[in-house]
Amino acid sequence: MRGPQDYGGLDAGPVDPVTHEHVPTHWEKTVDALMMLIFDQRRQLARVDESRRMQESLGEDYHKYPYYERWLQAVSWLMLEKAVFTQEELDAKQAEVRARLEAARDGV
Amino acid sequence: MSEHHHDHEHGHDHGHDHDGKPIQEDALPSLEAQILETSVRELLIEKGIVSAEDIRRAIEAMDSRGESLGAKIVVRAWTDPAFKEKLLTSSDDALREFGINMSPMELCVVENSDDVHNMVVCTLCSCYPRPILGIPPAWYKRRDYRARAVREPRAVLQEFGTVLPDNKQVRVHDSNADLRYLVLPQRPAGTEDWTTSQLEKLVTRDSMIGVSDVRRLDELVG
Repeated sequence: MRGPQDYGGLDAGPVDPVTHEHVPTHWEKTVDALMMLIFDQRRQLARVDESRRMQESLGEDYHKYPYYERWLQAVSWLMLEKAVFTQEELDAKQAEVRARLEAARDGV
Repeated sequence: MSEHHHDHEHGHDHGHDHDGKPIQEDALPSLEAQILETSVRELLIEKGIVSAEDIRRAIEAMDSRGESLGAKIVVRAWTDPAFKEKLLTSSDDALREFGINMSPMELCVVENSDDVHNMVVCTLCSCYPRPILGIPPAWYKRRDYRARAVREPRAVLQEFGTVLPDNKQVRVHDSNADLRYLVLPQRPAGTEDWTTSQLEKLVTRDSMIGVSDVRRLDELVG
């Protein structure tokens, strides 16, 4: 069965080498760095195929995620799967970060 | 100036922290994505898995890769037959001379010739020779390129302005998690007397992905 990531040979639009360029933002580079660090030889916490398995498990949602948000989701799931942190720890951290970022956004 | 005294009225609402704002905001993702990224990053730091310094260095390392590093390798292959042989047959050893470690991936270097043009895609993802060329271009990750490069490569090449004679064979290489490809473009005729640094200016990122040739000689003049 063809997974959501398996684009090879499908119909698609033209490639526009001018508008389809994008300089990665610092945020995107940070996500990129997190992925590369968990892959690296010192840590070896995950491999590329494991990251792909996580992204492909999104099913049709695969297409909805911006590229680096999909990577970020994969990093998060991999770290949960490898018990680097627990779902409870992640939930608590997200609640704290949400309060912090919303306060910063609202200029409090 | 006293604390609440302004000599003039601002015509617009600036908020209260002029100096805290960056000159230009980097386009940020959704708040949800920012929350997840900040949370994952902070947890990894708290657990001692990575440090802020590690992240900074990883970004710095990625920024140092790209066209100019790839160009050095290509030009060395153009000018040193023994190196070229090593690059084409056991690229690990050849790349080590440039301080590049592909592990745990493998790199396969494919050479263009008068009869063969090579191009690289990753239909399933965005696998790319990152230790050499850095982060792949956006089009390389998009559906358009991934879907059509393997089905109608000549049409895709034309969209990059690359028109090949009908009798030239096009070989498309589909990368994967463990095996990455780099195209070794042809050295243009008329560059026999050129210095290494002149030659390096000819080699582009796209020529090493195989969607275009190297720069034309007249593009370097002036």
